[in-house]
Amino acid sequence: MSSDFGGEATAVAEDVPAGRVPAGDVAEQPAPRPRRCGIGWAQRLEIALLSGPAILMFLGFVILPVLMAAYYGFYRWKGFGAPTDFVGLDNYLTILRDSSFHDALLHNGLIVVLSLVLQGPIALALALLLNRRMRGQSVIRVLIFVPYVIAEVIVGTAWSLLLQVEGAVNGVLEAIGLGGLTADWLADPKLAIWTLMLVLTWKYVGFAVILFLAGMQNIPEELSEAAAVDGASYWQTQRRITLPLLGPTVRIWAFLSIIGALQLFDLVYIIWGQYVASTAGTSTMATYLVTEGRNAGNYGYGNAVAVVLFLISMIIALVYQRFVLRRDTEGALTGGR
Amino acid sequence: MAPSRTLAVAAVLALSTVGLAACGGDDDDAGGTVSMELWENATTGPGKAFWEKAAADFQAAHPNVKIKIQAVQNEDLDGKLQTALNSGAAPDIFLQRGGGKMAAMVEAGQLKDITADISAETRQAVPEAALKTGQIDGKAYAVPVAILPGGFWYSKELFQKAGVTPPTTLDELTSAASKLKANGTPIALGAKDAWPAAHWYYFFALRACSQATLEAAAKSKTFDDPCWTKAGADLKAFADTKPFNEGFLTTSAQQGAGSSAGLVANHKASMELMGAWNPGVIASLTKDTKPLPDLGFFPFPAVPGGQGDPAAVMGGADGYSCSAQAPKECADFLNYILTKDVQEAYYRGFNALPVNKAAQGAVTEDYLKAVLDAYNKAPYVSQWLDTVYGQNVGNALNVSIVDLLAGKGDVAAIIKAVTDAAKKG
Repeated sequence: MSSDFGGEATAVAEDVPAGRVPAGDVAEQPAPRPRRCGIGWAQRLEIALLSGPAILMFLGFVILPVLMAAYYGFYRWKGFGAPTDFVGLDNYLTILRDSSFHDALLHNGLIVVLSLVLQGPIALALALLLNRRMRGQSVIRVLIFVPYVIAEVIVGTAWSLLLQVEGAVNGVLEAIGLGGLTADWLADPKLAIWTLMLVLTWKYVGFAVILFLAGMQNIPEELSEAAAVDGASYWQTQRRITLPLLGPTVRIWAFLSIIGALQLFDLVYIIWGQYVASTAGTSTMATYLVTEGRNAGNYGYGNAVAVVLFLISMIIALVYQRFVLRRDTEGALTGGR
Repeated sequence: MAPSRTLAVAAVLALSTVGLAACGGDDDDAGGTVSMELWENATTGPGKAFWEKAAADFQAAHPNVKIKIQAVQNEDLDGKLQTALNSGAAPDIFLQRGGGKMAAMVEAGQLKDITADISAETRQAVPEAALKTGQIDGKAYAVPVAILPGGFWYSKELFQKAGVTPPTTLDELTSAASKLKANGTPIALGAKDAWPAAHWYYFFALRACSQATLEAAAKSKTFDDPCWTKAGADLKAFADTKPFNEGFLTTSAQQGAGSSAGLVANHKASMELMGAWNPGVIASLTKDTKPLPDLGFFPFPAVPGGQGDPAAVMGGADGYSCSAQAPKECADFLNYILTKDVQEAYYRGFNALPVNKAAQGAVTEDYLKAVLDAYNKAPYVSQWLDTVYGQNVGNALNVSIVDLLAGKGDVAAIIKAVTDAAKKG
């Protein structure tokens, strides 16, 4: 899983400071940036002018909608005209009591954990494989990365057609004499979540591989050379040098993956539709939001769900930043405190 | 560089808001021209041509009126309309789907009350039952342009192959379905979209519940009459005979050859329970994108032991509304599109049943004649239940009926879900 922060992630991955290395010297920590103080008004004006438009866009299209959602969440509102029916915290109480929301939350949790557990090892293995000179390397890279580049809608539509009861997957199984393995991949509640994980892994593992490869490129050659001189085997080198030094990259990837999994919507909505998802056990908080908000015409309630989803993602993000990413981002984000 | 660029951006933003502000309907009462904006959902082909011609003809007859047509993709229409209505820049004339959404618009003061503007000719030409679809508490906020009753769309050829005739009772339907399924042509159901599955429950409810019960529930939003449970039990008993296509839970209704309409179009399924828009959808999914030559229609069969009239019909009506700020010419235009000639053109453009009784004579397709026959014989016509009870209850029905068909929920869960939802909205 991932979200749209790929650009930032690679930027972070490029200048990751090295962690602890048992052998050899340590890559230098970047010096903490000097505190900005006493800049002249001309500079301030320049900063304001240059960043102004971006900040305005951000305020208008990110911050304002968030505040509006928080406001609408206190109303029972059908979406036409101004909201008038103030219900206080009623919407939130309903959400917390609704068993469909509990289901969605549970599925989200499963998707978060399974994304990490499935994609992490696979992506690491592939990255290690691709990190050495070999024939057809670029072809394999492209094959792994292509699913990540294809639009979610196309991926979802294609998989939903393939996985129909009368679809190609069952057709192929029949044709090669494995008719006993055919199943209702999408609607069977025992299978559906695994089907979803298969599609998610197929789609997003490429993103993780690219991140890990970028991280590996940043590990100085000298380290593995030194290890080789000391008589370390390939596996020892990978285990004691590459993987530890890849830590920051893995942690950033896990962060993006968790946030993406929490907000998963498009693939579920396209493959399962808006109602079968809850029956098959693949509904997420975001699909619940659309079903109970937009489809029911309860826009106040839907906004309250959006606020809950926002708070959950926010809390998890902050906790993760504080406790997991702290070492990696020291000096960059936390001001060195 | 930077300051001038910022200024440029600011200027563009400012200009664009000015531009947006100029999008509202201009109501020019100073004897000059009146311009109106019309939003409709046909973006291509004969449907779009119909609106262009209707607007041009109306302008020719009223030289002071100018109608700007905006064709909006059907799936985008509701959202765009909601935004436009809330921002105070609503189109003057627009497609109205009725029901709970219309009630919300009325409550927000966004629709024009056109009760007094509906002409005597219109009242004479359009049946009262159809006009009622645009009314709330006896006041008219929309007029219907087409009636879209629901029933079974079937393939005559496949019925013949299986040796069955259009069933008139539930028992006949059950045995016909099992024969057809044995032939590899089951009943098509697009439950991925949920509402086609919910329609099955609506029809069982139409047979189980009396007209009075259906209407009373619209006001009281209580569903404790035993007939609601009976409808659920009837649906469950029917679904247990496994009459639907394999994988119906993940079959969509209208998208592609694998959808339920596509299965009918390609003779992979024998019939589908659907509204009267279905012939057009099926035609768009046949191999040559031409109407299915052997398409037939029969109404939902009688179900024993219910309070509802076995000949009652359920269906919707597409209508048009005037927004609150629209000029008075808007209502004139609505009367105009209900006149006989325009209605006949509407039928030809959309392949849908016109509401004007005189225009109904122009209908030639025998399946549409069968629909008209059922419609005109019906003792009463109920709107789609999700239209009557609002999106909120409709959504709860969607959820619980998909659960029922998937074997996850039971009949009692339907009633509970609907009751809970009614409290929410």
